[in-house]
Amino acid sequence: MKNKSQKNLEKTISKRFFLLSIFKSFVVGAIGWRFFDLQMIENRKYEKLSDDNQFNFHMVAPERGRILDRKMRLLAGNMDGFSLVLKWNKDIDVDNVVNKILNVININQKDLIKFYNEIKSNSKGLPKDILITKNLSQKDVSKLAIRSIEFPEIIFSMTKKRVYPQGIFAGHITGYIGPYSNKDSPSKINFNTSLLEVGKTGLEKSFDTDLRGKFGRKRNEVTSKGHIIASQIYENTISGNDIQISLDMGLQAFAIERFERGNNTLVSRQDKNIKKQIERAYNINYVNKDYIYKDKKNRIVDPQSGSLIVMDIENGEILCSVSSPGYDPNIFSDDLEIEVWNNLKNNSRAPLLNRSMSGVYPPGSTIKMAVALAALESGIINYDTKFYCNGSKELGSSTFHCWAKDGHGKLNLIEAIEQSCDVYFYELGLKIGIDKIAIMMKKLGLGQYYDIEIDNKSKGVVPNKEWKLKRDGLQWSLGETLNASIGQGYLLTTPLQLVTMISRIANGKFSVTPTLMLNKNNSRFKPLKINPQHLNFIMKSMERVVNGNNGTARNYQIGSKEIEMAGKTGTVQVVRISEAEREKGLIKNEDRPWKKRDHALFVGYAPVLKPKYAISIVVEHGGSGSSVAAPIARDVFKYIFKV
Amino acid sequence: MSYKSNKFADKSLNFIFLSKLLKLNWIIILCVILLGLVGVASLYSAAGGYWDPWAKNHLIRLIFGIFLMLILAFLPHTIFFKLSVASFIIGILTLILVKFIGTGNVQRWLNLGGINFQPSEFMKLALILTLARYFDYISRIQLNRLISYVFPVFLIILPGFLVISQPDLGTGLTIIILGLAILFFVGISMKFVILSLILFASSVPFIWNKLYDYQKDRILVFLNPEIDSLGSGYQIIQSKIAIGSGGFFGKGYLLGSQSRLNYLPEKHTDFIFTLISEELGFLGSISIILVFCILIISIMKISLELNSLFCKIVTLGIGFLLFLYLSLNIGMVCGLLPVVGAPLPLISYGGTSLLTVLIGVGMVLSINVHDKEV
Repeated sequence: MKNKSQKNLEKTISKRFFLLSIFKSFVVGAIGWRFFDLQMIENRKYEKLSDDNQFNFHMVAPERGRILDRKMRLLAGNMDGFSLVLKWNKDIDVDNVVNKILNVININQKDLIKFYNEIKSNSKGLPKDILITKNLSQKDVSKLAIRSIEFPEIIFSMTKKRVYPQGIFAGHITGYIGPYSNKDSPSKINFNTSLLEVGKTGLEKSFDTDLRGKFGRKRNEVTSKGHIIASQIYENTISGNDIQISLDMGLQAFAIERFERGNNTLVSRQDKNIKKQIERAYNINYVNKDYIYKDKKNRIVDPQSGSLIVMDIENGEILCSVSSPGYDPNIFSDDLEIEVWNNLKNNSRAPLLNRSMSGVYPPGSTIKMAVALAALESGIINYDTKFYCNGSKELGSSTFHCWAKDGHGKLNLIEAIEQSCDVYFYELGLKIGIDKIAIMMKKLGLGQYYDIEIDNKSKGVVPNKEWKLKRDGLQWSLGETLNASIGQGYLLTTPLQLVTMISRIANGKFSVTPTLMLNKNNSRFKPLKINPQHLNFIMKSMERVVNGNNGTARNYQIGSKEIEMAGKTGTVQVVRISEAEREKGLIKNEDRPWKKRDHALFVGYAPVLKPKYAISIVVEHGGSGSSVAAPIARDVFKYIFKV
Repeated sequence: MSYKSNKFADKSLNFIFLSKLLKLNWIIILCVILLGLVGVASLYSAAGGYWDPWAKNHLIRLIFGIFLMLILAFLPHTIFFKLSVASFIIGILTLILVKFIGTGNVQRWLNLGGINFQPSEFMKLALILTLARYFDYISRIQLNRLISYVFPVFLIILPGFLVISQPDLGTGLTIIILGLAILFFVGISMKFVILSLILFASSVPFIWNKLYDYQKDRILVFLNPEIDSLGSGYQIIQSKIAIGSGGFFGKGYLLGSQSRLNYLPEKHTDFIFTLISEELGFLGSISIILVFCILIISIMKISLELNSLFCKIVTLGIGFLLFLYLSLNIGMVCGLLPVVGAPLPLISYGGTSLLTVLIGVGMVLSINVHDKEV
């Protein structure tokens, strides 16, 4: 019995011993396979993960390229700045550190709020460098640096701050930069983008990739706690390229001041009487902070707003592009105060709008050369064709008035342009029809975008029959042709288009297009294909506007034998004048509310003998083209040709 | 079965010593020394190439432990037979004591005159001895009856639950699995084994509710480490990265970037094998596992050749204990098992587990020497 049970037991135990051994072998086999899988099969994957742990890459921002004017004057550059950064991890008592720092230096309250938000948003609790402030002065740095033992958690870093030495003078052209946001480019940028600043408007935006350069990378070996134990350059930083543009900042500055003054006089703001009045005046971005303008009736007025462009008629280079009021792009380099931004955005004079390229205005009489050319090219009239102006033109039940109430009498084309007779152009318009006028306008550069290096969002409007049918589903009426013939009605142009039109007329051979670049290839121009004789004739009549006895701008000759300008004035009615008002007699322009005053325009070129530069001036609600815009053009040309 | 020690009285002490020396299983001793030295080397690396704070202590403990192991090897194994019940009772008492005066944030440690000591480790040996004693005591026929297993189950459950409630799920489960393996070995009915497994499976939801939150977390994270890659899953993920990046030859001794840069948690205790795998690669890991296998197989081989049931069970129990340590620890570091907190015997830093293993191996050596003389 005992033997039997002994045998049974031994049998069972051997069996169980065997089963346990199989179990053990199975477990050890599984472990062995696991190690084979991890270390041999998936080795690559884990090696990469290990590297990701061991190393982290820091982007090193390149220095942004500069923007220079045609004489190498700096429009946009970089200034050294100092940032204060906290090497944050979970164990740091942030309040304590900040208080200690605040005992030594002052930190902008807004920066602190941003800093605390950043800490709160860092929910993962991973160690991270968090910016405390970017606006550290050299003095602050040295104050902190000598006590650096007390602040082991903070580091300084050199940053580059974008500066625009020309400030408000070229704000619309340079544009400004700001932190990258996903809106800025559809392609996903995979690296830490907090360093990246991209151009938001102007040249900064259009040349962003050129200016930006290439980010370098620094490879840091970091511990699990985020301490950097070694660091090396992994990829070199490539600085952005400088760009040189066609603006002449000397001319630009002169032009802005001259433009904003208009026909008003400068008075010092320190004057007691003036001070009182300023308090009531609009809050606007004055170029000149010490002076203010006073009109002929001694009223405090804002600077003129509008646009002034000077363009080289040979190569299309833009020497000067004023859009007033402007803004100082430097304000975007610091953290923008919300009030400043709101003032810019909501200001009734729209300082953010680049009027030169994006503002649209009815061209008024400045369009008459195009109408005349359309008529000459179509062969409907010749140089001597005459019409009679008695002050108005009846068409159906409507009356279309000439600016001269009593009429100009019988005159030919050259006289009609010289005196800007509206009735003559009503007759021309009726004879040639809107479609032919529209073709000529387009040939001269109106109603189209240009391939200019900066956003020019406005196309303007060159109406024709098809356009109206498409837009309103209505037939074109003859009255609308009459309005278009004197640059009113549907017709809308940008100042850039007007200066391009003059450049093409004065150039005579090529369809010049504007550019902000220096020495751009001129072969981009297509031939103009307008009879040179006709163009010569139109230029003669533009000379008469300034130099003729009856010219609308005869008071504003440059007065030099070699250098004289030619041009055309324009006064654009902003408010419709009813018959009743006309009967009562018109209220003088300067007595109307600003918004109801006429726009004053002048387009022209100089010198007459060998045309070189074209100009277009739009003074918003400035009054008459001959008395307000023409003198500005004269002074700008005087400045350019030093007479 | 009874043991009489006066059998050797007429032989000279010198002769006895020499004969015992010859009967020692040198393969086991070599394996133990080798693994202990691997431990010292790994701890030296874990400290970044310094003897302090771990490698030096480990070496001292190792020397002391091996000395103790050899003393045990020369003692007659009847001592273990006699001390078995007493050791169990002392073990249970210390486990209860540790509940009240234990140190550490989880109450696992007992402070004995400046030395921290973990009673749950010694409990494993006490359990093996007690179970062996019990099964040796009851008759062979009774082994076939289910009723004979009620008391052993109680002997297993009591320390098991005391340890789990410390709370130390890993060690507690080790104790229970170890006990059950012995029950299985001595021939508990297969039907009963299957029935118990089914019962266990159906009680899982109940057990789940009884677990502490951190224990639940560990199991959930084990099932999917990515759910908490910075919290509890961090250990598993970082450990797998370290092992995987080691490749075939490893990154080189003292050159493991994961451990050097502190990405590895617990790199000197439970995750020491991860460090070895990272630095010595697949080749090193498998070699060490192989040495362990040789150790375990040698012990099992002794068990197979023994006649006394007590010795057979003790030897098998200690072999199985080593296997459990090994598979729980390595299974855990490579992500096959949840992170339950199990040291790697002889290599991990920690005195109690080192001593437990060395005492256990000492008993095996003693049994090997003395059992043949019966």
